[in-house]
Amino acid sequence: MKRPEPFEIFQPASIQEARELHIHHGPGGYFLAGGTDLAIAIKEKGLVPRYVVDLKRIGSLSGIRENADGSLVLGALATMREVEISRVISRRFPFLSQSAGEVGSIQIRNRATIGGNIANATPSADVVPALLVLEAQVTTSTQNGEKQVPLESFFLGPGKTVMERGDILTEIIIPPASANLRGEYIKFSPREMMDLAYVGVAVALLTDGDENVCREVRIALGAVSPVPMRARKAEAVLVNRVINEESAERAGEAAASECTPISDVRASAAYRRHMVRVNTKRAILNAVCGRPGNLPWVARRERRY
Amino acid sequence: MEKLSFVGKSITRVDAEEKVTGSAIYGYDLVLPDMLYGKVLFSTRPHAIIKRIDTEKARRLPGVHAVVTGKDAPWTHGETIKDMPFLAQGKVRFVGEPVAAVAAVDEDTAQAAVALIEVEYEDCPAYFSPEEACNPGAVLIHEDYDSYRKSDIIVPGPLPNILEHFKLRTGNVEAGFRESDLVLEQRYVVPAIGHAALEPHSAHAQVDPESGKVTVWVANDAPFRVLHETAEALGLPKEKIRFINPYQGGGFGSKGAMKVETIAIALAYQTNGRPVRVKFNRAETFVSTITRHEAIVYIKSGVKRDGTLVARQVRIYWGAGAYAEKSPTVCIKGSHPSPGPYRIPHVQVDGYAVYTNKPLAGAFRGYGVPQTAWACEQHMDELAQRLGMDALDFRLKNVFVDGDLSYWGERLQSVGLKETLLKATEAIGWGKKTGQSNPPKGIRIGKGFACIAKPTRTPTTSTAAVKIDSRGDVMILAGTVEIGQGCTTILSQIAAEELQVPIDKVRMHSLDTDLIPFDASTTSSRSTYHMGNAVKRAAVKARDQITEMAASLFDTSKENLELSNGKVRVKDRREPALSFGEVICQKLGSDGVVAGDGAYTFEMGKDVDPQTGHSEHASAFYMYATQAAEVAVDEETGRVRLIRMVAAHDVGKAINPLNCVAQIEGGLAMGIGAALHEELVIDDHGRVKNPSFLDYHLVTSLDLPKMETIIVECPDPNGPYGAKGLGEPGLAPTPAAIGNAVANALGTRIYELPLSPERVYWAIQTSKKNPSPSVSAEPVVSNPTSFR
Ligand SMILES: Cc1cc2nc3c(=O)[nH]c(=O)nc-3n(C[C@H](O)[C@H](O)[C@H](O)COP(=O)(O)OP(=O)(O)OC[C@H]3O[C@@H](n4cnc5c(N)ncnc54)[C@H](O)[C@@H]3O)c2cc1C
Repeated sequence: MKRPEPFEIFQPASIQEARELHIHHGPGGYFLAGGTDLAIAIKEKGLVPRYVVDLKRIGSLSGIRENADGSLVLGALATMREVEISRVISRRFPFLSQSAGEVGSIQIRNRATIGGNIANATPSADVVPALLVLEAQVTTSTQNGEKQVPLESFFLGPGKTVMERGDILTEIIIPPASANLRGEYIKFSPREMMDLAYVGVAVALLTDGDENVCREVRIALGAVSPVPMRARKAEAVLVNRVINEESAERAGEAAASECTPISDVRASAAYRRHMVRVNTKRAILNAVCGRPGNLPWVARRERRY
Repeated sequence: MEKLSFVGKSITRVDAEEKVTGSAIYGYDLVLPDMLYGKVLFSTRPHAIIKRIDTEKARRLPGVHAVVTGKDAPWTHGETIKDMPFLAQGKVRFVGEPVAAVAAVDEDTAQAAVALIEVEYEDCPAYFSPEEACNPGAVLIHEDYDSYRKSDIIVPGPLPNILEHFKLRTGNVEAGFRESDLVLEQRYVVPAIGHAALEPHSAHAQVDPESGKVTVWVANDAPFRVLHETAEALGLPKEKIRFINPYQGGGFGSKGAMKVETIAIALAYQTNGRPVRVKFNRAETFVSTITRHEAIVYIKSGVKRDGTLVARQVRIYWGAGAYAEKSPTVCIKGSHPSPGPYRIPHVQVDGYAVYTNKPLAGAFRGYGVPQTAWACEQHMDELAQRLGMDALDFRLKNVFVDGDLSYWGERLQSVGLKETLLKATEAIGWGKKTGQSNPPKGIRIGKGFACIAKPTRTPTTSTAAVKIDSRGDVMILAGTVEIGQGCTTILSQIAAEELQVPIDKVRMHSLDTDLIPFDASTTSSRSTYHMGNAVKRAAVKARDQITEMAASLFDTSKENLELSNGKVRVKDRREPALSFGEVICQKLGSDGVVAGDGAYTFEMGKDVDPQTGHSEHASAFYMYATQAAEVAVDEETGRVRLIRMVAAHDVGKAINPLNCVAQIEGGLAMGIGAALHEELVIDDHGRVKNPSFLDYHLVTSLDLPKMETIIVECPDPNGPYGAKGLGEPGLAPTPAAIGNAVANALGTRIYELPLSPERVYWAIQTSKKNPSPSVSAEPVVSNPTSFR
C-alpha cells in the first residue's frame, strides 16, 4: 500500500459547480463518490490524482424514485445498500436488489454507490448486468448539457466509458416495465461473499400462459468480456419457444459461445465459458420460477445451485 | 482426581476486554520516541547475481539517515542451516528477497529513497518446483551449501539442492510389498499457502551506541530462540541482546525465526542509536516473510486382503523456497509421522527438503502434518475402496491403540485416536444415509473423514516464576507468547487452581527477555503442556511458602491448612481465614513478596534420528484427532459446499473447554480455506500472482458450515491435569476429510489441493470421459511413477 501524494479535495454543492471545478483545475482530477474503487486505485494501483472532487454534498444526485409512468430513477449516489433494500426495487425488480446485495460486504455496500459501480466500468461490476436486462439509460451532465445514453453503449472497454473529462453521471433510468417481468441475477464466485464475480448472469423475461412460452427475453453477462454485454444469440434461442431445461441449456451454450472471457489467476477462459453456459441456464430457469421479494441470505445461497 | 475450581472451566479470556476495546498494543501498533522508518528494496529476479548496487542517490535524498545493503550487514542466520543473509549477499534467490533498505524520517521519504536505488542483475537458471530443482544436473541455488554452518541434524541429500534428507527405515518395504495382496501407489500435491495472520509483520530495533546493546521489539513467537539466533549471527554475547514482545496479532508459525528483524537490526546499526521501525504491508508479508511448504507426496502401500497394512513407502519433496529457514525441521517432523497413525511392520520414508527459487517456506500450524495427512488419509480411503472395505473398519483395524509399538520404535500410551474416530464418524452419520435425502438435481452429497497424530517438538524446556505480593496479587512470569491462542488465560487458570485465588487476582507479565525466565518457544502446540507444568510447579512452590508462613501464624502444621478464594484457614477451626496478603504482611512486612519458580522438560524425550527415523520417546505427547465432513458438490460447476463438519480431538484434558472449541473451530476454518481455496499462485518468473486478499481467498464466516466439536479427554500421565496440546491439529485432517467426502460424492478422486471449483469441474469432466478403473483386490500399481 502506498501513502497517497497530497492532493486537494473539493466539495461542491451542485452539479454545475462540480463540473466547473473540474474544468477550471484541468487534468488529473477525479470525482469521488463512495471511494471504494477510487481509494484503492490511489493506495494500491498507483493512481496519483492532482485533485479530487467529492460529489457527496450534491443532494440532487441521491435518492431512488418511481415516476408516474412506472419508470424508476436511481440517483448516481444511491448506495448499493439502498438499492438492495429499497422497497420499490425489491418489489418490482428483486434481481436488481439482489445484484446490489451481492457486492462486497454490508460495510462496503453502505459506501459503494451505483453510479460509482457503473462509472468505474470494470467488466465484473455486479449491478450492470441486471441494469442491462432492464434496458436502463444513464444520464450524464456534460459540457454540452445533459445527455442520455443506453447503458449498453455507455461502456467502451475496461475502465473506459463514453464520458469525457469533467462529465458527471447523474442518474440511472429504468424504463417502465411490464408487471409480469421476471428476472434473476446469478453471481458465480467460489466464495459466498467478498468476492468478485467469475461470471455474472442476469436474465429478464416475459412469458405467455402456463406453457412458459418466452415472449421477450434479455440476457446480460458480466466478467466475461471487456465490457458487460448483452447475450443476443442466447436471447434469440429463447424467443417464442417454451422455456424448459433443454431450451435453457441451448441458450446457455449460445451465451458461452458469444462471450470472450480471459484467463487469469482466478479462472481459465475455458472454465469461465462453461460457467456462463451453466449459470445462464440456471438464471433462465430460476427466472421462470419467479421468486418475488428479496430473499433472505440463506435462500439466496441455496438458489445458486 | 480432586475437584477442580478453575481448570476445566470455560472462563472468559483474561485478555478479552483489552482486545475488544482496542487498548491492547500489538507489534504493528508500536511507536517509539525518535524512531526512524525503514523501507526495503526487494529483488525482482528469482535467481540472479547482483552485478552492481548504486545507493548514492538514495543516500543524498534529504531525510534519509541510513541506506544498507548486504555489505553493511555481513551476517547470516537460520534455524539449523546458516544460509540466509540479513540482506542479499551478491546474489538473489527469489522475487521478493530483501536487497537493500533505507531508514528515513518518515515512510514516504524512505520509500522515495528506495526507488532511487539502482541494481543490476545477471540472471541464473531458476527452479519453481522441488522435483525439478533436485533433478541430477540442476544448477545449485546455494553453491556454498557445503560450507554453511549447520546443526548436526542436517543430513545432506543425494541430489542437487536437497538441503535435508530425512530417512525412516523399519522392516523391509520391498519384502512387505511382496507379501501384500494389493499394492497401490499415488502422488499427491499440496501447494504453498500463506499464513495470512491478521497482523502483518513488523519489527522495531535499536542499537545503543555506548553499550552496543541491541533491543528488538517484535511480535515473535520464540523470543528466546530468536535472541539466541541473533546473538550467534552478530557474534554478540546473549546479554547484549534484548527482545521485547508486544501482543501478536496471530502468527500460525509465520512469526518465529528472523523475518523483518534482520532488516530492522541492519538499519539500527547505522542510525546512531535512533530506533528503526520496519513494517511490511500485506503483499510484502505474503511474499517476503514465509509460506507453508508446498509438498509433493508419493505413497505406496501394501495391504492384505483382510485389510491388514503390511508396508508403506513414502517419498516427500518439501519445497523449501530460497533459504532453509525451518525446512530441515519441517522435513523431519513432517516426514516422520507421514505414514499415518497406523501399525505398519514395514515402513520406509524419505523426506527431501529442496531449495527452489520461490518465497521461503517454514513453520506453519501443523508443521508438515497437514500436507502429509492430505496424502495419507486419501490414500487410506482409496485402499479401503479397492479392498471393498468400509473406510472406518479399515482404519479401526490398523489404527494405533494404547501399548502399540509405533513404526518409529516408541511404545505409545494415552492414545485417544480410536475414540475420536468412533465419535466423529458417529456424529457425521458415517454409513448412514445423508441428512439431505433429496438433494437438488446435479448436486452430489458425500461424506468423508480423516484422522491424524501430531507430535510436538521434543525435548524442550519451559521455565516460569509465580510471584505473590502483599496485596495477595499473583503475577506469572512466563515466556509463552500470547499469539491469540489464549495462553494467558490457560496459565492464569493453572496458577489460580494451584493457589486457589480468584482468577482476577492473577496476571501475566508481558514478555521481555531481560526479565522473563527462559521458554523454548510458543510453537508445536507445546505451551499448555510444558509451560502449564512449569507454572504449576512454580505456583506450588509459592503456595508452599504461603502455607509454611500461615502454619506458623496459626500455630499448626501445613497439612491442617486449607486454601480457598485467596485465603488460608485451618480446617475444622472457627478461627477466621487469613488472606495471602495478610499472611505476607504479617510475616514479611507490607513490602514482602513470595515467589516460586518451576521448570519442565520432558527429560527422556529425544527427537527422531534423521538417519533412521527412530526414537523411543519422539514426542512428549501426541495429539490425536478425527474430522469428518459432509459436502454437496455441484456437478455442473464443480463448486464444493460444506454441509457439516465434525471435529473430535483428544486434548488430554480441556483446561478451558470453550478455548478448545475456539481453537478447533479456528483450525477448521483454516483447514477449509486450505481445502477449497487457498494457494499462492507463482508464475514462471517466480512472481506471486495473488499477494492480496482480493485474490488470495480465505474463507469468510459465510463459507463456514455447521461445525460440531467433540472434545475427547484421554489424559496424558505427564501433562498438567492430563492435558496434551491443541494448537495445531485443528486444520491438519480437514482437507483430507473434505477430499474424501468429495471423492465419496463424485466417485472420482482429486489428488491436488485446493479443491477449487475449476479443479473439481475438470476432474468431473475427466471422469465422465474415463470412468474409474473397476475395483479389484488384485495387486494394482496405479500411477507407477518412478520410485528412484
Ligand atoms: C472490499 C471490496 C469489495 C468489493 N466487492 C465488489 C463486488 O462484489 N462487486 C462489485 O461490482 N464491486 C465490488 N467492489 C467495487 C466497488 O465497491 C463498486 O464498484 C462500487 O460500486 C464503486 O462505487 P463508489 O461510490 O465507491 O465509487 P468511487 O470509488 O467513489 O468511484 C469509482 C470511479 O467512478 C468515478 N465516479 C464515481 N461516481 C461518479 C459519477 N457520479 N460521475 C462520474 N464519475 C464517477 C470516480 O471518479 C472513480 O473513478 C468492491 C470494493 C471493495 C473495496
